[in-house]
Amino acid sequence: MEHTHDIAIEVFRLHKTFNIRDDNYNTIKQRFFHIFNPTPIRHLQALKDIHFSVRKGECIGIIGGNGSGKSTLVKCMANVYQPSQGYVKLTGTMMLMNLGVGMSHELTARENTYVSGSALGLKIAQIDKIFDEVIGFAELEEFVNTKIKYFSTGMVQRLAFSIAAHAGADIMFLDEVFAVGDQKFIEKAVRVIERSWIDGRTTVIVSHSMAVIEKYCQKVAYMKKGNMLFYGDPRTAIDMYVNDASSHAQPE
Amino acid sequence: MQLSLSDYVKGWFKHTNKSERIWLMAKIEFKLRYYENKMGLLWALMKPISDVAVYYVAFKIIMKIGTPNYVPFVFLGIILFNYFAECTVGTIPILQTKRYLYEYTNMDKLEIYLSVILSNFIGFIFNLVIFFVFCQFIPIRLNFHIVFLPVLLLTLMILSLGFSLILSNLYLFAKDISQIWGILCSVLFWLSPVIYPVEKFHTSFPSLEYINPLSGIIANTRTILMENKSPDWQLMGFDLVYACFFLLVGIALLKNLGPNASEKL
Repeated sequence: MEHTHDIAIEVFRLHKTFNIRDDNYNTIKQRFFHIFNPTPIRHLQALKDIHFSVRKGECIGIIGGNGSGKSTLVKCMANVYQPSQGYVKLTGTMMLMNLGVGMSHELTARENTYVSGSALGLKIAQIDKIFDEVIGFAELEEFVNTKIKYFSTGMVQRLAFSIAAHAGADIMFLDEVFAVGDQKFIEKAVRVIERSWIDGRTTVIVSHSMAVIEKYCQKVAYMKKGNMLFYGDPRTAIDMYVNDASSHAQPE
Repeated sequence: MQLSLSDYVKGWFKHTNKSERIWLMAKIEFKLRYYENKMGLLWALMKPISDVAVYYVAFKIIMKIGTPNYVPFVFLGIILFNYFAECTVGTIPILQTKRYLYEYTNMDKLEIYLSVILSNFIGFIFNLVIFFVFCQFIPIRLNFHIVFLPVLLLTLMILSLGFSLILSNLYLFAKDISQIWGILCSVLFWLSPVIYPVEKFHTSFPSLEYINPLSGIIANTRTILMENKSPDWQLMGFDLVYACFFLLVGIALLKNLGPNASEKL
């Protein structure tokens, strides 16, 4: 059934190991002084043999407890982290959104819109056309020329989401973006995500809100301790997660 | 993913908005640097002018150095050197300060470097204009030798980009590279013919201009702009090859160390 040209994200036997030193020697001086007694390196396996693919236009969810590797997986998928083994193949432009959105706090909303829009592959003339729409959707008409460092977290998030939605990144990674917006904005955002499917965009949602996941994701991955225990039917994945969480909460 | 080199190079010029984006980021970078305060662009000119004043007093008035047209001579040396220094010292933490650009979209990191190099170049051009204006008041007349200026400036840009790439990628593993480079840069200043004519060095360090690539660029720029002579061809070619070598080392480092940037910082 699956055609290779329909695949937006292909994750092939992905492993990610972080090499952590307790003393982080980060200068030449420190390296020099500790040349004969280096601190041991700890290997933290954050992701173990993750293997799946996402088709164009699909909306998938990733759930799991804290430290289960959700965000690491998303960062690997977005090429922010290099996989230790395996590979990730993306088709199209992408935008990653998490709580630290990709914007410069020194720039104004206008400048950030242009830089981000351009980074997503739009020409300046195209950004000129959608500019008012982007600002309108984010409800920031009065703050176009304000540096975003004076914005609230929610305002920044709205702007980032609005740019991503209007500039049309082919693949959108939404890592806990529903955690900050107010109810009104979340409703708007969700409508955009719904519309994106029609446009054939691919969305990956990481969220602790099972309601959002269940409502909008066609497939859900359940992560636990760096393993992907399940990938498929949303209801099954959510049940697994909820059962797992409650069995841990009640000691025998 | 597996793009051939020619596809990669083509991608920078055709069918994409890369060049447009680099120019956009360069303009914003320039604005951030100079328009965040009331003095604005004046600051871009203040630094070389005040440097010239200091060196004029020290070398022309106190030490009575015999170089003719000493003010434009020093000014040209300083703006060339400052361009290199700004591009390298200023960009060491670039992968940290500009991470918002490459972490959230699939933007090529090289574009970020190019935009900063270009933004500094805008500042350099303002200074160069001041130099040309100044030339109208003194017996220096420009002639056709100015056509070699773009080659020399291109060499300077390639060299600066190369060093910027090398230093900023080393920064991922050694944070004190910025302090070390600060010291090396001031050594480089005195080992470049910025305030002395290059001939002074020939007696002390005979092959200096073949070790220090900046030296040849500064000497040749003065030759074509102030002496109206042809540049030292051998030195010009050597500097260009030298600069390209550093650029290739820098790009290799970016390709190998750069992908770890988000993790290391």
